[in-house]
Amino acid sequence: MSWRRIRTLIWKEFVQISRDRAMLPILFIMPILQLVLFGYVVGSDVRNLNLAVLDQDNTVQSVRIVDGFTSSGYFTVSARPSSDAQLKDALDGGQAVVAITIPKGLGDAVRSKRAAQIGVIIDGSDSRTSGVAAGYAAGIIADLSNQFYGTGGAAMTAGGVNAQVRVLYNPTMRAVNTMVPALLAFILLMSTSNVMSQAIVKEREKGTLEQLFVTPIGRADYLLGKLLPYTLIAVAQLTLTFLVGVLWFQVPFRGSLLVTGGGLMLFMLAALGIGMIVSLMSRTRQQAQQTSMFLQMPQMMLSGFMFPIDALPKWLYLLTFLIPLRYILVIVRANFLKGSSFMELWPQFAMMAAFSIAIFLFGLSRFSKRLAD
Amino acid sequence: MTDRTDSVEAAIDVRALTRVFRNVKAVDDVTMTIPRGEVFGLVGPDGAGKSTLIRMLATVLAPTSGDALVFGHSVLTDPHKVKPRIGYMSQAFSLYGDLTVQENLDFFAELRGVPHRDMASRSKRLLEFSGLTEFSKRQAQFLSGGMKQKLALAATLISEPDLLFLDEPTTGVDPVSRREFWRIISGLHRDGITVFVATPYMDEADRCDEIAFMTQGRIILRDTPSGMKGRVPGRVIEVAVDDYRGAMRVLRALPCVHSLEVSGDMLRVLVAKDAGACEGTLRDALAGAGFTVHHVTPSQTDLEMAFATLIPTAAKSTDASDGDILAVAG
Repeated sequence: MSWRRIRTLIWKEFVQISRDRAMLPILFIMPILQLVLFGYVVGSDVRNLNLAVLDQDNTVQSVRIVDGFTSSGYFTVSARPSSDAQLKDALDGGQAVVAITIPKGLGDAVRSKRAAQIGVIIDGSDSRTSGVAAGYAAGIIADLSNQFYGTGGAAMTAGGVNAQVRVLYNPTMRAVNTMVPALLAFILLMSTSNVMSQAIVKEREKGTLEQLFVTPIGRADYLLGKLLPYTLIAVAQLTLTFLVGVLWFQVPFRGSLLVTGGGLMLFMLAALGIGMIVSLMSRTRQQAQQTSMFLQMPQMMLSGFMFPIDALPKWLYLLTFLIPLRYILVIVRANFLKGSSFMELWPQFAMMAAFSIAIFLFGLSRFSKRLAD
Repeated sequence: MTDRTDSVEAAIDVRALTRVFRNVKAVDDVTMTIPRGEVFGLVGPDGAGKSTLIRMLATVLAPTSGDALVFGHSVLTDPHKVKPRIGYMSQAFSLYGDLTVQENLDFFAELRGVPHRDMASRSKRLLEFSGLTEFSKRQAQFLSGGMKQKLALAATLISEPDLLFLDEPTTGVDPVSRREFWRIISGLHRDGITVFVATPYMDEADRCDEIAFMTQGRIILRDTPSGMKGRVPGRVIEVAVDDYRGAMRVLRALPCVHSLEVSGDMLRVLVAKDAGACEGTLRDALAGAGFTVHHVTPSQTDLEMAFATLIPTAAKSTDASDGDILAVAG
């Protein structure tokens, strides 16, 4: 190992990046673009859901219930059917995605502190909307229940909705608050593994790798010369993404920079390792690109990045334990939203460290072996 | 680094070197020594194994079996001792296209540990003698083919190696640049640098101290250029005729004609040494068959002719098939 050689390689890498018209935008505009797209599209809040109200009670209490729904901002009353049949038509015809039915006698029941029932019917054809709507409805009903009966008073139940559910930590259910922290990790994974594999494959494709290996340069020199510049770039990308998330999307950051940053750095080992593995599997840059995409898909699906993993079939669920992204997502989300400490997150850290280091070392060992040919 | 006083005599000592790719023996049991200070030319058809041999000697490819000593150091066990002494120019341009000429030189100077106090003077001198001074700030990808090759050579020379491996360095380079390139190599030769060059061009092979002919992974002939030509059993007569295809048929039928080849718009005819005044025989035969004969003159044996005659025999003796060697070597 020679610091002079490593320094020269790093200098070379930065000169090349600065002259690559395609690379610079990819490195710094793409993370922002992804953040904005994911932030607004995936993370957009479900608001102004059309609500059909069938109020057969018409008491002060029933009106308060309807007000509770509309004043939340999540629902607007779009239909007031007068029978069950009309209510069904409203749902079938798409005039409403959520319907509530307030049965006769609800006001009496509330006044005499007896159990009461509200029917909530949700159009399940759009699973994302319906899931969110169910959550909102549960929250609203729980609130009303507390107002009517006082805290701890049970007895008001909604059809199919557990009124006891309360949405913790992210009370406004802003999806963007869970999306932005996850994106930090995801962008780090994509960009580091992509750029790293591209950089190595490019050298092989152009024949410069062979030329390098007639110089006294060692494998450690070469690897550090590649890893260090891309690590620096990844840190810059992370900082940029973090700032846009916190300043533009107003995502609260309640945790510790050290725990978040440390977790992400540890996770980057996995990303770098994947990059090395991809670079060894590919002869051309297009191949590397496609291999990266191929590897990203399952990570995206099985990590809880966009879709919950708890509902997966058992064998698929077991597979998620192998994916380092799964652990880092828990770490960054918990840090952003709950301000969890390292002590609370150490099992995640341990698992992630184990898998990240394993992937990195595997990449490293294959890398050293293959470069000679 | 420039110590040329090692006790080892040969620059390269190749011992039963073999490289197998899948089931093909790209280099098949090659043994030879190359003395210091020599310009050694390796010729042979595409796919003969020239590049594979060079890449093993330059320590970028591991041999399947056998070994080679470069200045006494094994490429197998001591590549790190070989690398500082050699320069290697691969067949394809392999510098950084997005770095400038000067940056490429600096980059390889730094990697090869050229002392900082020598860097500026060396790169200035190399730029001058390769004629690249005025292009020093240009990105390498925007240089012409010939200039790229000269830059590649300059980059390998920055560390003042004792041995240079050049793999078809002038392929795709215009004739003027090719001449210039060889002028540089002659200069290196005078400085005592050993040059190992693979080339498809016979005129380039002619400028080497020694040449070896390689085919199907084996070296089947090795001699000096004049030695190669001297081995040809006969002399060459040049024939210019209006229809050379038709003329070839007539000439082949003559008993004194050993073989012939087309060179440009002329025929080069190899006749037996003792054939006496064969020129007259050729002229009469062609005129008799109704061809217009422009001239029939004695000429020099060249390498092309030498290989065409010598290879079939040599190939047979090393029991390689001789099927299409002639066509490719021609």
